[in-house]
Order: sequence, then structure tokens, then C-alpha cells
Amino acid sequence: MTKSLFLFVIIVLILAWYLSFSATRLDRLHHRVETSWEHLDALLQRRAAIALDIAHKSNLDPATYLLLASSAFQAREATIIERSEAESALSESLRLLQSDSQDVTGTIALSSLAELESITDKIKMSINIHLEAVNAVRNLRSKVVFRVFRLAGHAPLPVHYAFEDDVL
Amino acid sequence: MKSSKRLKIGMVCPYGWDTPGGVQIHIKELAEFLIRAGHEVSVFAPVSDDSLISEPWLVSAGRPVSIPYNGAVARILFGPVASSRVRQWISSGNFDLLHLHEPAIPSLSLLACWAADGPMVGTFHAASAKQKAITAVGPILEPVLEKLTARIAVSEMARQTLKDHFDTEAVVIPNGLETSKFEVDDENPDWVGEPTIGFIGRFDEPRKGLEILIAALPETLKTFPQLKVLIAGPGEKAEFLKKIDPVLHSRLTFLGKLSEADKVKFFHSIDAYIAPNTGGESFGIILTEAMASGTAILASDIPAFSQLLNYGEFGSLFTSEDAHDLAAKLTALLSDESGRHTLAAKGLLQSRKYDWSTVAEQILDVYEMVQVGNGKVSLSSDNRVWNRFKAND
Repeated sequence: MTKSLFLFVIIVLILAWYLSFSATRLDRLHHRVETSWEHLDALLQRRAAIALDIAHKSNLDPATYLLLASSAFQAREATIIERSEAESALSESLRLLQSDSQDVTGTIALSSLAELESITDKIKMSINIHLEAVNAVRNLRSKVVFRVFRLAGHAPLPVHYAFEDDVL
Repeated sequence: MKSSKRLKIGMVCPYGWDTPGGVQIHIKELAEFLIRAGHEVSVFAPVSDDSLISEPWLVSAGRPVSIPYNGAVARILFGPVASSRVRQWISSGNFDLLHLHEPAIPSLSLLACWAADGPMVGTFHAASAKQKAITAVGPILEPVLEKLTARIAVSEMARQTLKDHFDTEAVVIPNGLETSKFEVDDENPDWVGEPTIGFIGRFDEPRKGLEILIAALPETLKTFPQLKVLIAGPGEKAEFLKKIDPVLHSRLTFLGKLSEADKVKFFHSIDAYIAPNTGGESFGIILTEAMASGTAILASDIPAFSQLLNYGEFGSLFTSEDAHDLAAKLTALLSDESGRHTLAAKGLLQSRKYDWSTVAEQILDVYEMVQVGNGKVSLSSDNRVWNRFKAND
């Protein structure tokens, strides 16, 4: 009788340890999603600022100017719901701008183009790292233990944004 | 433009520091570059003889043990003593971030990843086909590896390996190279021939593929009877020669292991560098060195080399393990002097991509990224609940 009670206590203890271990894992991953998003967000804001800067300083035709300035402005002002679409639009107009600049040299300062290129590389890297964290959280949270014991608490499930594929 | 914050970086090398290897060289050159850039670096590595340490930034973790791992003998270090040394190094280092190399092999990097909390970058060097043994331990390693804030793979192959074994993504940042070292135009007259080709590597190791090059010689000698083959690298010369047709002996020159300076001369003396490797390569640093020296390359079309040479753009490729194709491509390459120079010039230009100034900049971008919202590196045991209670007393 005492033996089975002892065994029961051991099992409960192991289960408790395992749950606490799993919760720590998930917590760490959630933290990684948040911090990597924070960094990505800052880079995206900087990209929008560079785009606005290029739009104002360069000798662009009015159509390109309008496209670039409005998409950059939208990316900066977008709410969380509109954000993905706005970033996609900005990526698209920047791509147009970059391919145009190869045909018509001199309209955009080379330093701005170089800055844009370097920020795009950083954004790609940042997205890669962020998505890795997002996938890890989603994988973990889909497991039975995490669902049954609600180890994620009230933390929202991190999502992929469509714009992340566009930039890559 | 760049944030000029001075970082304190802890780097962990899993392999014995005094055995030659790609990972060790990578860490050494990266550490030196970062120190020149004004950062503080401490490298923690297994060392078999402490008196041989010449680098002030190297911290010895103890003597490595040789064990067979993954088809080769690895000199690695683990166990309770190593574990407590790792913890001591971390807690006394006050690091802004840890950079762990090969954290998925049973050595120091894995111990450090287990013991630490905070910003951590892991670099994965190895590439291999999907292995059941590693896939089987994957679930055990997963909670450890997921502590890494960011992962770097040195090649597309290494990234794929990581994906196959642990189902996780990585940023590809190639191995670095000091290209300026290889641009010095200096040749050794003894090594120049009519024409000369070169090979570097452990020549008695089958996967380095020297036997395939030897098998291709009789056919090549029909067009180039004076062809000279320079073979650099360690190995049992007498054993190796026994297996080769004595007629060919006069065409081969064994140089033994080359010093760094001789290696540069070697590349500048030869007309083409041959890399007949049959597999087991993740990146192909030797090819980037040949490229940086402005030497034309003929390599087997294994995935790592095909990728590095962009499917023939920066060096000629032959069908791996096919001596006839090697002979044909070699004859073509040696016959076409202007084509060879164009190929070498393209390779030289491409090699700039692998210069440390470019590569380390990308690594610093990752460092900057992992620090966002994270504090310094600490021991994970200090953050456990019961220790927090103790701290409150």
C-alpha cells in the first residue's frame, strides 16, 4: 500500500517537473518570437524611412514618386491588421524602383541605394530568424501535452505574415 | 551608420584546438577579425597541451578525448569536469552573447548551450546525408538547440542537414577567408611545370579522391606528356605509391604539409587546382582559397562544390568519381589558356564575397539581432525558481 503510494508520488513529481520544464521551454520560445519581431519591426520602420527619404530627395517621375511615397507612408502608419499588406506593397514598389534604377542611373543617389540594399539584406536575415522562432512555437504548441495542460496560457499563437514571403 | 557598441563575445570551439580543422581555423580568424574591430572575444576550447597556447584570448577547457563520431575520429570534450568548467567560464565571462560552433555534436558547445541563458548564436558547419542516429536523438537535443537565439549555417548543404535532422531553419553565412593573403603573386620555380596541376588534402583518405585523379592521368598524359602533379598534405606516401603504376611515379611530387606562405606560392605556381573529392564536404574552403589566388579550378560536381562554383561559372566541374570525365575536362582546361584565365578571373572576383570584411559584417548583423530585448548571458541554473527564492532571502 505504502509502496504504491510512494510510486504515485514519484509519478506526480516527475509529471510536475516535466510540465514545468515544458512551460519554461515554451516561455523561452515566446520570448524569442517577441524579441525577433521587435527587431524585424524596427528594421521595417527604418526601411520605410529610407524609402520616404529616397522619394523626397531623388529626381523621380511623379508616378514613381507617388507610388513610393504613399506605400512608404502606409507602411509606417499601418495598424497591425493592415501591416502585412502595406509591407508587401512597399516591397513591391521598392523592387520596381531598384530595377528602374538599373536602367536610369543618376536619378537616385548611390548611397541611398546601397543603404536600401543593406537594409533589405538585414530584413531577409531577420525574417528568417523570426520565422524560425514562430515555427518552433507553433510546432511545440501543437503537441498534446501543451494543448491539454494549456501551457501556453493566454499567449496568442504567433502567425506568419504574407509579406515575409515577398521579401525573401 | 553601424552601431559601434563594443561587444563582449564568448565563443566555444567543440574540437581540440591543436588539431588542424576547418572549424578551428574559422573560429581563430573570426576571433582575430572581431578583436581588430574593437570587440572583446574569449574562445573556450579543448586543448591537449596548454604550453602550446599562443593566443591570449584562448581559454583551455581541458584535454580533448579522441572518439569515433560520425565516421571520423573527433577530438572532443565532455563530462562533469568539462561541464563545470563551462559554467565557470560563462559565469565569470560576463558576456553580451555566446557564439557556439557545432552545438549539435556531443562536446563543449552543447554543454554551453545547455548551461547558459540569454543571447546565443549557433553556427553549423557540417553537412551530411540524413542519418538515423542523429534523427533519433533529435527530440532530446531539440529543447537544448531551441535555446539558440539565431542559427547560422556555413553553406546551403549545412542548412539542409540542419533542416533534415532537427527541422529548423538557419541563415546561410559562408566561411570567411583572408583574401589579401592569397593575392600576393609569388611562385616557387620548382613547382612551375609544363603544365602543373595541384591537389591539397590527406591523399590517403578515399573521400578526398586523389585516386580518381591518378586514374585520369594516363589519358591526360597523351596530350600533356610533361604534366606535373603536385600533391600537398599529410599521408603515407610509400603506402600510396605501392598502389600506383610505377610509370606515373615520375610525374608526381609529394610536398607534405604546406605552411600558409607555401600554400599561397603553391596556388600561384600551378596552372589548375584539382578537387576530386567524392563527398563529405560542406563548404569547400580550399576552393575559395584557390579562387582568391586567381587559380583556375577543376572540381567534382558534388553538391557543395557545384554550389560554390555556381554550376561551372567560377570553376570547371566534372562528373564525380568519373576518371574519364576528369581526364577530358582537364585536357580541355589545360589546352585553352584564355578560357582558363577568364575562369580564374571570374573566380577571383567572386572570392571577395568570402572575405572576412564581408562575412564578419554579416555575422555582426546577427549578433546585433540576437541582442534585441535580451540581457547578458547568464547561467540558466541561476534563473531556476528555487534559486530565485534563495536570492530573495
